[in-house]
Amino acid sequence: MSAIPGNKGGAAAPHVELRRVTKRYGVVTAINDLTLTVEKGSFTALLGPSGCGKSTLLRMIAGLERISAGQCFLDGVDVTDVAPAKRRIAMVFQSYALYPHMTTRQNIAFSLSLAGASRKEQDERTHEVARILQLEDYLDRRPAELSGGQRQRVAIGRALVRHPEVFLFDEPLSNLDAKLRVQMRLELAKLHATLHATMIYVTHDQTEAMTLADKIVVLDRGRVAQVGSPLELYNRPANKFVAAFIGSPSMNFLPVGLTAVEGGIATVALPGGRTARVRVGGAPAKAVATAELGVRPEHLSLVVADDANAALRGEVAIVEHLGNLTLLYVDTPAGQVIVEGPGNVSVRSGDTVGLSLREANARLFGADGASL
Amino acid sequence: MTDTALVSDAPPPAARPLVRLRQLDLFGAVVTLATLAGAVVWAFPLYWGLVTTFKPETEIVQPGVHLWPQNFTFENYAHVLMQTKIGLWYVNSLVTSGAVTVIVVVMAAAAGYAISQLEFPGRRVFWAMILASFMVPIPALIVNHFVLMSQFGWINTLQGVVAPQLIAPVTVIIYKQFFDSVPKDFREAAVMDGANDFQLLFRIYLPMNWGITTALAIITFIGAWNLFLWPFLAVSSEEKLNVAVGITQVHDAFGVQYGRDLAVAMLAALPVAIVYLIFQRRVTQAIMLSAGIKG
Repeated sequence: MSAIPGNKGGAAAPHVELRRVTKRYGVVTAINDLTLTVEKGSFTALLGPSGCGKSTLLRMIAGLERISAGQCFLDGVDVTDVAPAKRRIAMVFQSYALYPHMTTRQNIAFSLSLAGASRKEQDERTHEVARILQLEDYLDRRPAELSGGQRQRVAIGRALVRHPEVFLFDEPLSNLDAKLRVQMRLELAKLHATLHATMIYVTHDQTEAMTLADKIVVLDRGRVAQVGSPLELYNRPANKFVAAFIGSPSMNFLPVGLTAVEGGIATVALPGGRTARVRVGGAPAKAVATAELGVRPEHLSLVVADDANAALRGEVAIVEHLGNLTLLYVDTPAGQVIVEGPGNVSVRSGDTVGLSLREANARLFGADGASL
Repeated sequence: MTDTALVSDAPPPAARPLVRLRQLDLFGAVVTLATLAGAVVWAFPLYWGLVTTFKPETEIVQPGVHLWPQNFTFENYAHVLMQTKIGLWYVNSLVTSGAVTVIVVVMAAAAGYAISQLEFPGRRVFWAMILASFMVPIPALIVNHFVLMSQFGWINTLQGVVAPQLIAPVTVIIYKQFFDSVPKDFREAAVMDGANDFQLLFRIYLPMNWGITTALAIITFIGAWNLFLWPFLAVSSEEKLNVAVGITQVHDAFGVQYGRDLAVAMLAALPVAIVYLIFQRRVTQAIMLSAGIKG
């Protein structure tokens, strides 16, 4: 996958390609000159906060939203003006959109019945899908008589029965409770492994995106902020937006002064007087006097206040014990930072602590938010 | 603990709710009696009318109130059934009311769907016209209807009775409002499945609003069955009358014969009452089903 405009590189042929697409609603531009390619058989997550345009993008691929400018290709064929039903794309909606007056069997077979498939073919394919999704015992029930997870499976079944080339998922797990969400996440991963179909998945939940997707497209205000594998995004965010969006608790950002850049290593002056050495991309960093140092909570460690390795000192404001780990909110000269410690931390609110920094994992961001 | 502590002048804790319950019971009894009295006042004319049909004409015109026939007879019904064309009037009413119901429901659903779901030039104007026509009382157009039907050559025909009744803006408005409330995901899911607009209307939107369709069909049917003014003006031939107008023909032909008049009125009302009683349960079920699924 690539978000580079005009990119044609890579060995795998793009299955879905959006070429310089724009979507406008009156004067509001939801998607702005966006280019995206999705390889065949991949599981791609479109991730971003509410209003970033991820659902709009999905609906444009589905054909439910007219593209204001640009083109959409499916297997190299321009489908920009092709009707949704003729794109060989199936979509699972956030609300499931199961027809309430139809049974599970009728819901699954609906597209086949519209296509004029024989009763025998409808039955065969419905049973095949029901077997895969373990819905055989619920075929004669209406949606109101199904649990959330079962409804979700029927929605997937309705997509599956059409044998589509591309599956689109619009926040399909957001209506489920936490436990069921984890279970359905595993089922989706299994389904992808079984079908090897191209799947595009919209979510605002980074955990879903990180656990399910091969590649994640992070969207910010209608533009691609970064494309990469889950670990690439986590470890090497391209900008402050991605760094802040990926990871929970969120990355800490400390205002720092850039004192020297040499051999790809920048020396930064931390608030409180200490310095740190952070790896940077090279030349651009030299021209920057001030920057922000991004440090994830797990890359800060608690040390005693007067420890020589303490990059920062501060007073513990809040302690949250989560069992396997502890989150500490520490007020430092750089502002409040979140520190992730082991589960058995005995520090209490009001204690003064030192924080050591794992410099190899820290990232430096310029004033424009780009990673240095 | 002392005896003083064990004994108290205060009423036991259960006493207060009991008093409140008694008060409620009294209030409930008063309300029940009042509603019962209302029901009796409402139902008595029906009872009186029904009982009168089983009395001979001489007994009906006698002074005094007799709540039960002194001489029970089916003569009035026998006369109406044997000596009038009520059977034909039933058929006419059934045909015209059935046709009006089917056409109005299908047409209004289609119009409501178009205004609610489709984008086409003039949609707003079309909607404004329907709203405006809702504000025009139909009897005000009766002369226009008569002239138009006359020009069509439809006076004294069943289609002439049916045609002006097909103007049903309220039904369109109700359908439009219901279709507006259907979440757009259903439409989009069906579009992805390959449904066209006819399939969307007849396989998704109408079945999803089956409760309101049933209710509207019943209301339309009853309205058409009971319609008097237009069939009275449009039809003069005894063979084309509907039941509602046919009642007046019985009156005209036999003078003031209360027993016969009320017998034909009872027979006229009977099918509507039966239809309503049968479909009322279905309306309730449909509404409950819709509510259950949407919830």
